Amino acid sequence: MKMLFFASFVCLFLLLSLTTVCMATSENEAAAKVSEAENAVNSTYEAVQGAEKAGANVTGLLSVLNETVGLLSEAEIAYKNGDLDGAIGKADQCVTVANGILNDALTLKSSASENAQMIFWSTLVYSSLGAGAFAIGLVLVWGWFSRRYIKKMLEMKPEVA
Amino acid sequence: MLRLEDYKILFIIASLIGTLLFASPSLALVIHLPGEEAFSEIWVLGSNRTTEDYPFNVKTGEVYKIFIGVANHMGSSSYYIIKAKFRNQTDPLPDSTVGAPSSLSELYKYHVILQNGEEWETQLTFSFSNISKVENRCVVGTLKINDVTLIVNKPASWNINYTGYYYQLLFELWIYNAETEAVQFHDRYCTIRLNMTLSSIS
Repeated sequence: MKMLFFASFVCLFLLLSLTTVCMATSENEAAAKVSEAENAVNSTYEAVQGAEKAGANVTGLLSVLNETVGLLSEAEIAYKNGDLDGAIGKADQCVTVANGILNDALTLKSSASENAQMIFWSTLVYSSLGAGAFAIGLVLVWGWFSRRYIKKMLEMKPEVA
Repeated sequence: MLRLEDYKILFIIASLIGTLLFASPSLALVIHLPGEEAFSEIWVLGSNRTTEDYPFNVKTGEVYKIFIGVANHMGSSSYYIIKAKFRNQTDPLPDSTVGAPSSLSELYKYHVILQNGEEWETQLTFSFSNISKVENRCVVGTLKINDVTLIVNKPASWNINYTGYYYQLLFELWIYNAETEAVQFHDRYCTIRLNMTLSSIS
């Protein structure tokens, strides 16, 4: 009887310890997932901002990114409320969506940078050619005008007052 | 009639103006003029979305509604985090002189990304419960913000001058800095003052 009681006590103790360890692991896992989601959102935002600075239209990406940060908020709320499974689920969703946006943002940034470079060099070349052509044209016009002026002056009859 | 020298000066001026006009697209790409001042806004509105009807005399169990808003005028898209904190009259406020946030821990957060010129506003509901009174001290046990129940255990002493137990809901505006890759306090905050009424206290 005593042995049975002792064995039951040991089993109960082991069960409780295991449950505590599992819960702690689950809470750590949820915290880690939420942190991972936060980092994913930060990286994605940086990429989108980089694309915006390169001149890309990021309105669509920002709209999706705002939904992603909404998922992050929901993950944090679930974690605060003790809904660890919910927190992990939302955090995983957030990471997946954020990574998708990240790839799009990097592609957009790359193409926007190429476009911006092409526009820069073509603008530089055309405006330089234009300025040069204008200056040369004006020099030619000046040459013609000065010759005509001198010729006109020489043809004029002097008047004696 | 003008002399040849005068015509020469006119041609030189015309050539300078014309060259500048043709070169202006290139100059615009290279020269960056200083833009407008960059800033952000944060505001709190009452239950009717105006600067009136702010909750003030609050009691246990009743749900109060306010609106929190943020606007972006930083010149490009910005990632904001609004942190809600709960303080009594002795807890520190953010320090505007050094741009430091309040040392209180946040109870609730909003994450929002706004394009330049964009505004965002949302409703926030809050309520109190487990309020107790010990001598001339009131202790708020639980604060519920939207769907989140938070154990705060925040005491407040009786304010002789203003006759009440005063608290504040504090909303700090933080912004993500891509250079430091960290969220930092944006040196902007707003508060609403609350008086825990005697009828609510057990």
